[in-house]
Amino acid sequence: MKIMPWAINGVAALTLSASLTAYADVQIGALYPLSGGLALLGDESYRGLEIAVAERNAAGGLKGEPIKLVKADAVDAAQAVSAARRLTSSENVAAVFGSYSSALSFAATQVTELAGIPFFELGAVADNITERGLQNVYRSNPTARDFAQGTITAITKLVAPQLKVNPTSLKIAIIHEDALYGTTIAAFQKELALKEGLQVVEVLPYSAKAVDLSSLILRLKGAGADVVLQTSYQNDTTLFFRQIREAGFAPKAVIGAGGGYSMQDTVKVVGAENIEGVLDVDFPQFQTNEAGAPGIAAFAEAYRARYGSEPRSGHSLINYVGAKVFLDAMAEAKSLDAEDVREAVKAIDIPIGRTAANIGAKFGDNGQNERAQTTIMQWQQGVLKTVYPPAAAVAQATLASQP
Amino acid sequence: MEIFLQLLLNGILLGGTLAIISIGLTLIFGIVRVVNFAHGEFLMIGMYAVYLMNQHFGVHPYVAIIPAVALLFMLGAGMQRFIIQPLLAAEGHIQIFATVGVSIALMNAALMVFGADVMTVNNPSGLGTGSVGIGPLRASTGQLLTFAVSLALVGGLHWFLHNTFLGRAVRATAQHRNAALLMGVNVNRIYIFAFGLGCACLGLASGMIAPQYPVFPTFGTFFVLTAFVIVVLGGLGSLSGALIGSILIGVVDSLAGYYIAPDLKEVVYFMIFLAILIFRPTGLFGAGRGSE
Repeated sequence: MKIMPWAINGVAALTLSASLTAYADVQIGALYPLSGGLALLGDESYRGLEIAVAERNAAGGLKGEPIKLVKADAVDAAQAVSAARRLTSSENVAAVFGSYSSALSFAATQVTELAGIPFFELGAVADNITERGLQNVYRSNPTARDFAQGTITAITKLVAPQLKVNPTSLKIAIIHEDALYGTTIAAFQKELALKEGLQVVEVLPYSAKAVDLSSLILRLKGAGADVVLQTSYQNDTTLFFRQIREAGFAPKAVIGAGGGYSMQDTVKVVGAENIEGVLDVDFPQFQTNEAGAPGIAAFAEAYRARYGSEPRSGHSLINYVGAKVFLDAMAEAKSLDAEDVREAVKAIDIPIGRTAANIGAKFGDNGQNERAQTTIMQWQQGVLKTVYPPAAAVAQATLASQP
Repeated sequence: MEIFLQLLLNGILLGGTLAIISIGLTLIFGIVRVVNFAHGEFLMIGMYAVYLMNQHFGVHPYVAIIPAVALLFMLGAGMQRFIIQPLLAAEGHIQIFATVGVSIALMNAALMVFGADVMTVNNPSGLGTGSVGIGPLRASTGQLLTFAVSLALVGGLHWFLHNTFLGRAVRATAQHRNAALLMGVNVNRIYIFAFGLGCACLGLASGMIAPQYPVFPTFGTFFVLTAFVIVVLGGLGSLSGALIGSILIGVVDSLAGYYIAPDLKEVVYFMIFLAILIFRPTGLFGAGRGSE
């Protein structure tokens, strides 16, 4: 049979175009708030993902092809929806990583789920993101409940032993800003404290815009609170510390849950001597022991080499670790289809203390990482040092000099 | 009883802080008849000015008051001359939109220039922080000083408005614009002066409260709503009304925060606000019906 020359050409062309498609980069969406009020920490989170992708590419990429990150900026839920639509429909991404903010995560996951594309949450903390029965939503970072658990652990494992008392003898007061962030964590704190048999003497919400907390402090004083748990932003944290000093109120321990308590600027305003000894529960920051967080120094080094500055917060670290776990799983998966990725994610089994952020990785049926935990840190001489869990600690917790 | 007295003291002292912020607003409200929604942002600018002078020249915030007052006077006068005055003939809501626009623009400009971080003045002398004991009670020294200064400010402004030629011209303009015009008062110039004076009060306020509060771009929004409540409560344009209204709101804030709940104290004073609007729309010390 005589083969027509045009047919050969056509077949060659088809083969060529098929191989071109096969060798194109793997597109991965990165959905973060990169402008507006959340931009600073959104960008810090994105940097963690960027470093994880660079490492994956250096190790051969996914299925032998390099990963290309497609950035999508979203500052609110409406923008998150349209960004997720763009990523899933016109950019044809294999997965979307994000998102720092719970509001963005809620909105974007609805879209990716409909498109049947995996969404990997690396930083948003609202528990119910993974409690909606979605099949392709996974989260590596600890949730609000884990933050609350961290503050209770701080009481039972650090504060009570330091004071040499039974934790149940301590009077605990919970104060929190009255929007979603504070209310969610405070509700878990109360629930978990009661479960541990601790005495909660006050639960007091207040507006984050308050200009005076003196009456709240008088109530804490009146209730004889030994331990104060505060969930707050920057302004109310600084106000609280100024006014307890003015009111002469000195609780035995103050424990914050991220937010204003983790920021260096808060210390500048409050004064390092006034926040000395205060505990803080959050994603791990960089004063963490390599022994409990293998790879943390290398990450900080990679960060400095890439961006020419010190990391601005622990958000890059937690995003980096989560992204690395998920990208490794995608590399192991039979294909990049959502089904195969799900199987690969289910197969992940990393014990606690074996990642650069101390967390382990084992995903439940709802997609939540069951080995995600917060670390407990303490302000010592103006530096936020990890004090718990012991393997990751760089300093001993001490309650000798409370405000 | 001791707790009640402490709450009362806290409330009265908070009232001093609120008063020093509200006095300027009531001046502008009562004389120029403009609802200045940018009042909080002028306070924020004053705070940044005090902060910058403190950082660059190492002066105590109380010393930085003098240049801050001058700066705020010029800003206020400029705003009246170039934004409000061209709109004086327009309807009231147009002026309100203009002040809201200025407010948003200033807030975002501050966000661009200074970033969202909280910043605070260096105060190695400790003057204006700390607290003193009065018998069994404790009072913040910064608040005590602020309270004294706001009393002096009310007294000073009262004397000025009643005993100087310019002051009388201001009052005449406030009472009846056209009549004042017929008496030979340059009404536009009085408006510029009054707006500047109202803003200059914020320069004083920024220096007084800078040792107590850090500054950030949305700082103004924390106080401005309360200041509006106080001004309506006290009666538009009434200086003593603003002072007494401030103390009243301060005490309500303090007592409600303790005896009801810290997150419900705003509810309590907004209910008082509504009641005032319904039963005595001209405020406790307003001139009564028809003064508009």
